[in-house]
Order: sequence, then structure tokens, then C-alpha cells
Amino acid sequence: MSELNNHSLINITLSSINMCLILLLLSFFSPLFIIILALLGAWNIYLSIVNNAKPKTRKLNILAAISLVVMFYSVGFKDTVNLFVAMLIMGTIFKLLQAHTKKNYQTVTTLNFFCLSAIYLFDQGIITTVIVSLLFVLNFAVLALIDSTHKFKKAFLGSIKMVLFGLPIAIFLLLFLPKLPAFWQLPSPKVAKTGLNEQINPFDIAKLSNSDELVFRAKFNKPKPSTHPLYWRALIHDQFVNNTWQTSKYSRPYQVNNIKKRLTAESDYSIIVEPNANMWLYGLNYSSSEHKNVKSTFEGTLIKRKPQSAKFQYSVSSAALNTDTLSKEQVKRYLSISNTYNSQTQALAHKLRNSVGSDAEFVSALQLYFKDQLFSYTLTPPPLTGENTIDQFMFDSKRGFCGHYASAAAFMFRTAGIPARVVSGYLGGEYNSSDNYYSIRQYDAHAWVEIYLTGTGWQIFDATSTVAPMRLNGSLSQLQQISDEFKSNLDFGLVSLSDFAVINYIRIKLENLDYKWSSWVVGFDKQKQRDFLKRLFGEKNIWLVPLFCVGVLCVIIGIYFVYLNFPVKKEKAIGIVKEYETLVKIMAKKNIISPEHYSPQQKLSYFAQQRPGNKPYFEQFNDLFVQIRYQQQAYTKQRKNQAINLINLIKNSK
Amino acid sequence: MHSVVNKIITDISRVILDKEHEIKLSLTCIFSKGHLLIEDLPGMGKTTLSHTLSLVLGLNYKRVQFTSDLLPSDILGTNIFNAKDHTFTFHKGPVFTQVLLADEINRAGPKTQSALLEAMEEKQVTVDGHKYSLPTPFFVIATQNPLNQSGTFALPESQLDRFFMRISLGYPSKEAEKKLIMGTGKTDVSDISCQINADDLSLIQQEIEQVILSVPVINYILDLVNATRKETIFATPLSPRASIALTKAAKAWAYIEGRNYVTPNDVQIVFPYVSEHRLGLHNKADKIQLTNLISTVAVPV
Repeated sequence: MSELNNHSLINITLSSINMCLILLLLSFFSPLFIIILALLGAWNIYLSIVNNAKPKTRKLNILAAISLVVMFYSVGFKDTVNLFVAMLIMGTIFKLLQAHTKKNYQTVTTLNFFCLSAIYLFDQGIITTVIVSLLFVLNFAVLALIDSTHKFKKAFLGSIKMVLFGLPIAIFLLLFLPKLPAFWQLPSPKVAKTGLNEQINPFDIAKLSNSDELVFRAKFNKPKPSTHPLYWRALIHDQFVNNTWQTSKYSRPYQVNNIKKRLTAESDYSIIVEPNANMWLYGLNYSSSEHKNVKSTFEGTLIKRKPQSAKFQYSVSSAALNTDTLSKEQVKRYLSISNTYNSQTQALAHKLRNSVGSDAEFVSALQLYFKDQLFSYTLTPPPLTGENTIDQFMFDSKRGFCGHYASAAAFMFRTAGIPARVVSGYLGGEYNSSDNYYSIRQYDAHAWVEIYLTGTGWQIFDATSTVAPMRLNGSLSQLQQISDEFKSNLDFGLVSLSDFAVINYIRIKLENLDYKWSSWVVGFDKQKQRDFLKRLFGEKNIWLVPLFCVGVLCVIIGIYFVYLNFPVKKEKAIGIVKEYETLVKIMAKKNIISPEHYSPQQKLSYFAQQRPGNKPYFEQFNDLFVQIRYQQQAYTKQRKNQAINLINLIKNSK
Repeated sequence: MHSVVNKIITDISRVILDKEHEIKLSLTCIFSKGHLLIEDLPGMGKTTLSHTLSLVLGLNYKRVQFTSDLLPSDILGTNIFNAKDHTFTFHKGPVFTQVLLADEINRAGPKTQSALLEAMEEKQVTVDGHKYSLPTPFFVIATQNPLNQSGTFALPESQLDRFFMRISLGYPSKEAEKKLIMGTGKTDVSDISCQINADDLSLIQQEIEQVILSVPVINYILDLVNATRKETIFATPLSPRASIALTKAAKAWAYIEGRNYVTPNDVQIVFPYVSEHRLGLHNKADKIQLTNLISTVAVPV
């Protein structure tokens, strides 16, 4: 049975799986590499449709060498995980191009299982899961096609059945099996689309607005927090060098492990972070978390303890910003302006400061200045270059987005002798009232200033609030003033179609589903599992869990064993007779009629004589027949399938 | 135990050249605890076969040449008056053995024949109202000349029924006969050593009883036997004893073939040898009728 019966069908299905794989990984690899993969896949489909031929080995080897070089060039060596995944997928496609025996195809399907699982390194969303499951079903179908003569539909339905059988087992494993720490850890794949940057060059951040990629979700335990805008802090930039706000080493993650919880928390909520390779995390105001992979910094921001690219969830308590008195070093740090450019702006700052009596008044004066001078908010500011970019912005263009305002305002505060720092993070988010959570997307990225006023402590200054007050009350997508500009900037996606009620409705439903998926399935961690088991078994009976697991596994294996060996029907005396009679009829149709009085065995060997090509099939059928009819062995499902397979093989042979 | 069976067959084949099928059939008969009737012309190796069989199977062996004046007491034994203590002592006849070769059984008169047949059926002999058990196992291998030869008394059907099987050796192939003439490649009977003993034999017989007899095969046997009863061409159709014999023979044949289950093919192979003598078929034309019968009975699936 080493011959394959449906070469081109298997080929086409396998290459379609590969194509879907390429589509899923589209945004994670460089276009050059993706194009090469797509070309190889398309070539294979073309070959299997046109003449079912395979390219020569030498040709393939040369091609493989070239593709390998291109892959190393375009993927690079820095990110080992990406490199490994790229190699795996390319290897699979080449193997398929070269496959011609049954064993080759089996290898390809095995490789496909790995390739499909590798997608989860990049994306764990529910839509991806649905697609990957479908591809799994297809792959199983191919496996069935390799070994039998089934039609595609039958193989497909069979594999759906199999995957569905597997589903309860998967759920059981998810719920009950202990979540062991990984034996080895992959270096995290670096996700190409990052949100924020450790260095803020204000003329850079507009790029974010055209990405509607989800960054994180925040779920509040209590009803929606007060109406004032939500400033999700991520990074603090306290060093101004060469017109760029940077994160100094003081703000970098070197901080203490157990920072004391400040006063009483204002709000408690949990955050589900989408996979990304950044170290920073998000929180409102002064945040702390008890999650074991989350550290708090002195400045109240949150960072990951160790790199983790997978989706994960942590709970946060937030309190008001720090009011402690600054030390001398801190004051010095928050006042330093290490360049002498932007003299016009410096002069303006001094002038404004001198015209008012206190620091607090300077704050309002600055706000007023932005308003009076008709500064405007735009996502497409004119590019500013040179050494005095802040001057250019303050006196010439007067148009910009949050980065410009934050940058300029912080510069002016420092000039005026008020400690200030630029904070980047996200503002607002889309509120989902049915489940009381916010979705924060990349286009919600924002930058603002935090200033230290003696007496009141740190507080937020957002120049954008003066220029575009609506920006504070919701997501950027809801800001009418720049809505059109915003949408034209956005990649084509569901968000950009949010004017259509139906699409918006579907989008929100999908979001909700994805939210539930990520909080209940992807985010089902050790802690949640423990809570679940405690609720199920009770605190005292937790020792029952391993017993229960072993018991259920035994039952599953037992059921499978019985299923395989269970006689098909009660009237097992009929057994294989039906199949035997079918076979005789099939042979009669082919004009091979054996003498009437021959015993079944004699008839089968007579058929084998007439059809020497099918001799092994007849012999196998004879063995089956003897086992069931004369040795009185049970007619199991396995045997029945084998008999039917043999009949099909004989039927379809020429 | 099955491994020894092949050894037995090769051993016998070294003496009786080119007759493997017949050797297997004779073993089938002995493994089924049945008596064997070998019908053939003189000089075909009947005696040699039976002698070799008993030697290989490790059974003691006696031979009686039947003649028209042979009396029952010549076979069974007789009471002889002991003048010393005025008692009769029983002198055992040649029948007190494990394998008795009754050579040319149809030359003896009916009286003697039936004396032997009682011993075959009952496994005991009665002399002057006193019963003597025969040793176990007890087999009779009778040889018989074709009936058309002069000076023969045909065995009655009722008695023929007691023979489990009837085989004939037939002429050897040209090759085999050449070897016989040249005296090469053939082992002498005296050089044959025994492969098993009586205990092993009973072990084999037990194993044969374990051979699986499935429903379709039983149905086939019934169909075959019933076919002989329906046809009018057979004067004496097969009895239930014949059905049992057929079943046993098929089992033993399957065992010799190295299987633990019976197939319809086994039944087809042994069927003529078990039924021909019971149906009263002697000449070739009669035997063809039996072959036709097999080909009219469909094999149940």
C-alpha cells in the first residue's frame, strides 16, 4: 500500500495549509521572505494541478540554498525564535515540493503540526485559534487521505469528528492538569509593531495613530471609574538630550522588589496585556501589583520582572501620584536641560514665569498661552528638523500632537525651574459597558507632562487638553474634530469602518469574545486554576485532584480501548460476510466470476489469480475473513475499516 | 506439540516416497483415534506405511495376515487348559497390541472379520464370556485388495462404517519409482526411530480437540452430509457417525496444516476419504460422482 491514490488532492490540501500559514504570519516576517514562501507554495499548487510532477532534486537543492540565504538576510540572526520558525516553515514547504512517497507526505503532515503550533508564539487570539483549528482538521484529513482511499469530504468530516473528540480532553487538561513551569524557555519573539519608545522624539509618535492593534485591556472590579480621563502610564522620560526625551538610568528597571503599598488604593483593576516584547507595563497613576512577574518602580510605573512575550494578566492597585518631597538630586535631575538651543522658547519661559507670582500660576499661564496663540491639534504635523525644533514648533508651525505639546511644555517647565518629566502611555480607551472593561489600542498612545509643585506634589499637565479638550474624554477614534483625518490615517481595518452600525456591532461583539477568550482561556494561569479547583473540590479535598486526574485519564484510555476493540454489531455472526459479498459483486461487475461452489477462500485466491496486481489486497482480505469467520475473532471497528479500505482499494484499481 | 508433526511427516516420507498427502491423511486418521483402511493393489507399500507409522509414533506393532481359513481365536487369543493346576489360562492373541496391521482383511471369512470389528469398536475382546481390555491407544490399520480380485469377502457396509477413513496409496511418481528401483534416497523401515510416545500422542489428540470449529464450517459439513442423503445415487448415505468423523478429520487435518481453526477447504480435502467407503463407492466412476457432489454444494460464508 505504499502507492498513493490521490496524489494531487493531498498536494493541494497541504500547500493550501502552507498558504494559510503564510497568511497568518504575514505581519511577523519581512515582505521579501513572505514573498519567497508564497511563490514556493504557489509553485507547488501549480505543479500538482498541471501535471502532478515534482521538481528535480538538484534544482530544489539550488533553490533551497538561495532561499536560505535570502531568509538569513531578511530575517536576520538577532531574533532566534523568528529564525527558527522561518526555517521550520521554509523546510516544510521544500519538503512538500520534494515529497513523492507516502512516508514523505507523512513527514510533511508532522512538520505541519509543528508549524501550526508555532503560530501561537506570535498570536493567541480567538480568531487565530479558530483558523489554526481548521488547519489542524485539514491536516488530519490529509493524514487520513494518505493512508486510505476515502474521498476528501469523508476524510474531512472524519477529522472534524476526531478533533471534536479531542476537545473535551483538551478542556480537561487545561482545567485540571498542573501547570508546570517550562523546562526550557524560548527567547521571546520580538513583535514588530511596538507602541511606545524609550526615547521620545515628539516628531515621531504620530505613526502610532494608524495602528488599531490592541495593546491591553483593563477590567475594573467596580463600576466605571470616575469620569476624569484615564492616563495609563507606561514610561517616564526624565532626561532631555538633543531634543529627545529619554529614560535615564534612574527610571530604568533597577528598582526595589517590594515597594510598600501607598496609602489606600484609589482603584483596583486587572490588565490583560497582549503579547509583546516590551518590558514596560501599564497602570493608572501610582500603581503597584502583586503579580509575581510584575515589579513596581519608585515612580509608580510597572515593569515585567523577566521578559515574557505571551499574553498575561495582572491585577493593579492605583493610588494618587507621589507627594513626597524631592531630594536635591531629584530636583537637579528633573530640571536639567542639557543643551543651549531653543533659546527663543527659553526666553518665553522666563518671560512667562516672571509675569506671574507662583509656579501654580505659571501652569495656568502656560495653558492660556497655548490657547491664545491658536495652537492646534493635528495628526499630520509638518516635519520639523534642525537643532531648534521646539522653537520652530512654538513660534512657527504651532501645529502638532501630544508629543509636541508634552515635549515643549516639559522643556518650558524645566526652564522656568519647575521639576518636570514627560510620561508616555495611553489615554482613555474604548469602554465596553457590558463587561465593564476598556480596550486600549495603539492609536490611544499619548504623551503628557508631570510636574512637581511644592506642596501639592506631582501632578499631570496635559497641554493637549487645552488644544483639543475632547481628546481627553475618550479614545482618539471618538474625537470628532480629527475623526476624518484619523480614519484616513488608519490601515484598512474594522475600526476604520466603524461608521457602519452593523460592522461596528460585529466588531464590538468580536472584541467581547476575544476579551473573554483571553481572560478565560489564554489567561487561565496557575492562580485561576487553583481558585477553580478549590471551588470545585473544596479547600480540604484539594488532595483529591491528582487522583481525579489519573482516574479520568484512565477512563479516557479505557473508553478508547473499548471503542477500538468493540464488536461493531450484536449480530457478529454476519460479521465480514456483508463486505465479502460486496467484494464478490464488485468483482462480478469487473467480469470476474468465480465458480459458484468455491469456498470464500478459494474465490478470493481465484480473484487474486485473475488480478495479480491486487494480490496483496485479496490476501489481506482473506486473512481478515479467516480471522473473523473461522477463528471466531471479534469483528472490531478497526477490522471493519480495514476490510472497507481493502474493498475500496480493489474497487478503485484498474 | 505441533512442531513434532512435521518431523513425523518428513520421517515417514523418507520411507514412503512422494506420498506426503497420503501420509498426512493416515496421520489425520490416527490423531482422530480412528481406524484406517488402506485399499490398494498388492505391492504398493501399504504394509510399509503402517509399519513405519507405528514405529514413528512409538507404538508397538503386530501384524496378522488374513486368510480365508483364519479363525477368530487366531486373532483374539484362546483359553488353554493348564494340566498342572487344572485351570484355563488365557493366551492373548495378536490383537493385544497398540497397532494391529490386519493385512488383506477381506480375505478372511465374515466370522473372523466381525470378531476383529468388535475389538475395533469396543476396544475390548470377549473370550468365553470373559472380557479383556485392549491396550490404549488401539489402532487397526487394515489393508484390503480391490474387490474384483479373486478370493475376497467384501466387508459389509455396517462394518465399513467403523473404519474412520479409507485411503489408497496409488502408484508412485516416475521419479519416486526410479529411486525405488535404484535403492537410493530411500531409508529402510528398520532405520526409523520413534519421534513420540503414547503420552505425546494423547497430548496431540487433546490439542486437536481445541481446534476452533466455527459455525460456517459446521453448516458446510451438514450441507455436504445432507446432500448425500438427498441424492438417490448413493445406496447408503452418510450416517451421523460419518458427520462426526468428518468433523474430527477436518480438525485433525487443520492441526496438521498448522492451524488452530478449521476452514471449508479442510472439510473438502478430507471429505472423500471419510465418506467414500461409507457410501459404497469403489470404482473411479463412483468417485467422480462424489467430486460432482462437492461441486454442487455451495460453501456457506
